[in-house]
Amino acid sequence: MLPKYFQFFCPIKILSGSKAVSNIPFEMGILGCKRAMVVTDKGVVNAGLIEIIKAAFADSDREIGMIFDETPPDSSNRIVNKLAKLFEKEQCDCFIAVGGGSAIDTAKGANIVVSEKSDDLLKLQGAENIKANLKPMIAVPTTAGTGSEVTKAAVIYNEEANCKMSFISDKLYPCIAVLDPSMTATMPPRITAMTGMDALTHAAEAYTCLQKNPISDIFAKGAIELIHKYLVRATENGKDEEAHLGMANAALIAGVAFSNSMTGVCHSLAHACGGVCHVPHGIGNAIFLPWVLEYNSEKIPECVAELSCVLGGEADKTEARQQAMITASLVRDLLTRLSKVSGIPMRLRDAGITEDKLPAIAKLTINDGALVYNPREVTYDDALSILKKAF
Amino acid sequence: MHLNKYKTKENHDFMDDAVYKKISLLRKLPFYPVMQSRAKFLLMDNMMLSLGSAFEVASRCVPEIKREIAGWNEGRRFAMQILPKGPAITLAKQGDRVRIVGKGVQASDVTFMFKNLDAAVPVFVGLQSTHEAMAQSKIMIQGDNAYAQEFNRAMSLVLANLFPVFAYKHLFKAKPKLGVKGLINKSKVYLLLVPQSVVNTIKHFK
Repeated sequence: MLPKYFQFFCPIKILSGSKAVSNIPFEMGILGCKRAMVVTDKGVVNAGLIEIIKAAFADSDREIGMIFDETPPDSSNRIVNKLAKLFEKEQCDCFIAVGGGSAIDTAKGANIVVSEKSDDLLKLQGAENIKANLKPMIAVPTTAGTGSEVTKAAVIYNEEANCKMSFISDKLYPCIAVLDPSMTATMPPRITAMTGMDALTHAAEAYTCLQKNPISDIFAKGAIELIHKYLVRATENGKDEEAHLGMANAALIAGVAFSNSMTGVCHSLAHACGGVCHVPHGIGNAIFLPWVLEYNSEKIPECVAELSCVLGGEADKTEARQQAMITASLVRDLLTRLSKVSGIPMRLRDAGITEDKLPAIAKLTINDGALVYNPREVTYDDALSILKKAF
Repeated sequence: MHLNKYKTKENHDFMDDAVYKKISLLRKLPFYPVMQSRAKFLLMDNMMLSLGSAFEVASRCVPEIKREIAGWNEGRRFAMQILPKGPAITLAKQGDRVRIVGKGVQASDVTFMFKNLDAAVPVFVGLQSTHEAMAQSKIMIQGDNAYAQEFNRAMSLVLANLFPVFAYKHLFKAKPKLGVKGLINKSKVYLLLVPQSVVNTIKHFK
């Protein structure tokens, strides 16, 4: 059914393929930039991936102003504010974010602070709150999951309030997304699996949430097809370049989808778990996705049922609700296979969450902005019920 | 707009044509856009004041809303605003209730901004829910997301006590079930709403 009104926006230039990173200095020239602030984390530096970036600048007249590698696993407001100050001090004119969602979101957050000439990120949170034009940003993901290289959202941990904050604006889209298989080849199987499930959750929620539209649906289904084809392969074999590039593209496509149709209660639960228990976002999404699909199938069984084909199920004439349960079980099967290969947990207790934390997680869940877009109403009791099932 | 009592199979198209012809004629009048815009502005101004009054009354009478706002910090402020130059109103938690601070955005912790009057009208007259309006990118939120969700929940309870049951399908993802006590509380809201609205209109008249 066509929505009465929708918006779709995807202004990012995408470079995907072998040696895509070598084009970065050229693209900086087109953007009118000369001195880049590279935002990354210690894991990326230790894996030697920054050397690939540095090599791209070797015979270029563009330069790297500074390499900031202090991004934590969950990007925080304190780190963002520090990065913004360094950006000004080093007189950089663009950001290159190299890493997973945290590095890219940290760069986005610092970009907000720098461009709005603020001193504190906390003052600028919310949706469509950014007035100034942001500095150019190039995103080079080293994981295949968050899709942050093509989204208008940044999720940053508020250290004072102990919760995750969302920043949403059309201005947060990076200028360029660079998918280079050499940047994801060193991902360990566990990271491949959890970021891949993150991408799957993005696509599945984009397809089932209130803001869904015909264009984002195409992107969502395309992403799920690629994930079904490549995720297990990429997890089993780190040297499978095709599989890793396939997953990088799947994550990007899923990112385009959910950036335009938002997510729902699965992300609210994952955000809350991340805020309370510091569970990695991909693991939270992986655990909750099948339960959330079952929960939402009470309200939108047809949408959930339609995903079973792209997940490898058979198109069936069974009733929509039954087909939707098949979709959830296909996701569980995928999670089981990934868990065998990579060891990612399938239940909250295996992810280190204790039962006494569940009420706090449920309380945070119902205050998460993503919940608005969930097709089915979620109360505190509903959130707690899903948590207990996933526990 | 259809004049249903005159509508039959034979004259259905004729009546629709007649209505649309009249509307087309009105649109050709030079001052019609200004009048239409002004009418929407006045409607939204009044609806905001009514909604604010309903919030004041409901936060006094409805136990669920009292429980919802009990956890809010004292002085927390919310504003609703229609861009670019539409009406706006600010509410605040004062004591154990919510009160109208005044018209305009006044140092709010969270502001719900509607893109324009056309985005706001269906929401305020009960024809569209806030979550649908957000899904259609009609509303932007400035401020703390968690506060925004808490306000949204409280506002849903207010709307359940303000609008009649047949409007629920437009307003909620899941229809609230009021029960006997809920209906009694709703009657109290209805009884107190008109006097409170009059008081607020006089107090905040601009």
